[in-house]
Amino acid sequence: MPTFRIFRNHATRIMAHALLGLCLFYGANARAVTIIVNPSVTVSSVSQNAVRSMFAMKLLQWPDGQPVRVFVLPDDNSLHKAFCKEVLDVYPYQLRQTWDRLVYSGTGQAPIEVGSEEEMLKSVANTPGALGYLKKTKPGERVRTLSVGNPIRAFSGE
Amino acid sequence: MNRGEIQIGAVILFTLAGHGMNANADGLPDGVQIHGFASQAVINTNHNNFFGNTENKASFDFTELGANISWRLNPSLQLSAQAISRRAGETDNGSPRLDFATVDYTFHASENARYGVYLGKIKNPYGLYNETRDVASTRPSILLPQSIYLDRIRNFVLSSPGVAIYGDNTLPIGNISYQFSVIKPDASDRETEGTFLGTDRPGKIKADSSYIGRILLEPNNGHFKLALTGVHMRAHYQPGISDALKGGNIRFDTWVLSGQYNAENWVFTSEYAQNRIDAHSFGTFFLNRTATGSSYYIQGAYHLTPKWSVLARYDVTYRDNNDKDGRIFNALTRAPTFSRFAKDMTIGLSYAPSNNWLLRGEFHHVNGTAWLPYSDNINPAATTQYWNMWLFQAAYRF
Repeated sequence: MPTFRIFRNHATRIMAHALLGLCLFYGANARAVTIIVNPSVTVSSVSQNAVRSMFAMKLLQWPDGQPVRVFVLPDDNSLHKAFCKEVLDVYPYQLRQTWDRLVYSGTGQAPIEVGSEEEMLKSVANTPGALGYLKKTKPGERVRTLSVGNPIRAFSGE
Repeated sequence: MNRGEIQIGAVILFTLAGHGMNANADGLPDGVQIHGFASQAVINTNHNNFFGNTENKASFDFTELGANISWRLNPSLQLSAQAISRRAGETDNGSPRLDFATVDYTFHASENARYGVYLGKIKNPYGLYNETRDVASTRPSILLPQSIYLDRIRNFVLSSPGVAIYGDNTLPIGNISYQFSVIKPDASDRETEGTFLGTDRPGKIKADSSYIGRILLEPNNGHFKLALTGVHMRAHYQPGISDALKGGNIRFDTWVLSGQYNAENWVFTSEYAQNRIDAHSFGTFFLNRTATGSSYYIQGAYHLTPKWSVLARYDVTYRDNNDKDGRIFNALTRAPTFSRFAKDMTIGLSYAPSNNWLLRGEFHHVNGTAWLPYSDNINPAATTQYWNMWLFQAAYRF
């Protein structure tokens, strides 16, 4: 039954492709970055604009008036790159340019750079108003996650 | 040690101390940051002098040094100040200057809008690179395109005492930010005088109230940048003792249109400027006239690897649109025809081993001397139309 075998091979291939496609689809949607905040931060979700403005060091306080303390990983860190791409939709060099302009023209300050994810977790947990990011948070860690609004929905005027 | 050397030493010490304190974050009070930068270049030209005695020599006369301190008192108030020391051949002797001393008060900030005011000595918004032009790593190349960022009038354009209002809004097409300043620029140096009056005169140029503003639109999260800058500067001349010139007036009006596209591995930038210099009432021993000049450059930078990048640029400037080849000016003043234009082809290579360090090399092939520094080339008759320049620079910032 060569015809059946060919059909079966085809079907297997199509199913494998569909499975791979499904994985890629979900993989692309599930964020590889989690935004974290110090437990003192009272909001649990913010718009993408707000997150962008905070990491651009333009929006310096939470809705309750508490100052935002921004923590970032080095420019060439792979999690930082993923964060820039997925959450902010900018390249790390653009963010660096934004901070350089603030720092060297007297119109703002740079975020605090930490060397590793462990240090990020520790700093955000210990600093009131802190904002940062990690790959994933584990139960029992002294930080909260912050959900970021979908930009497309935000623009549809919902 | 003379006074200048002591002052430079103080800037170096402050920079080093700041660096030490930054390395140990606990050493600084909450909300205080210290940053700084330093660079040293080697320059060689085959004709003409640029930032020192460079003709067929290697000159080390281009050094940039600066340090700043900022204090964020609360989300709406920041105080900042920066001191710089810059050596650039005969045009700048390294004596320390206060670059900015700014009070930044934000009176409204939300996720979609921000409004505030700057007071003090403030950086002028001009094109894409002016505010941080002394920090090597914020420039695309060792020298900024001289057509638009003419180093001869850098002090005039760089920063000035005054007041500015600024704003920032998130629109569906992207972020829009703007700043409008009323300033009193610094026009006292020899290079600015040379630019407006042809040569160093016995008297002094004194700036009057001037205006500068910029609107910057950043569609697509800043992957595109579009900016429009407007400058309206006014100054008057205070004649010296037995001066041939009378107390004339100078008006300097400029429009700059800037565009940039930021991709993952390459950046494409272009800026176009039109400027009008109007010098009148200087009496019979001066060419009282108005000249409208134009400038533009196109520039591409490509990241070969995360650490290595290359740059190519074509940069053109005409001092007078009605006399692009400089013949009319030559007939009137005997200045070389080629002092009225410059066409600069630049290629460069950058290596950034870390976020702090930057090493660069670049080559310029220039036709014309329109932006050649006056002080390094006292005798215009000794200048050459076609010339080449090599630059190498090591830069550090924190």
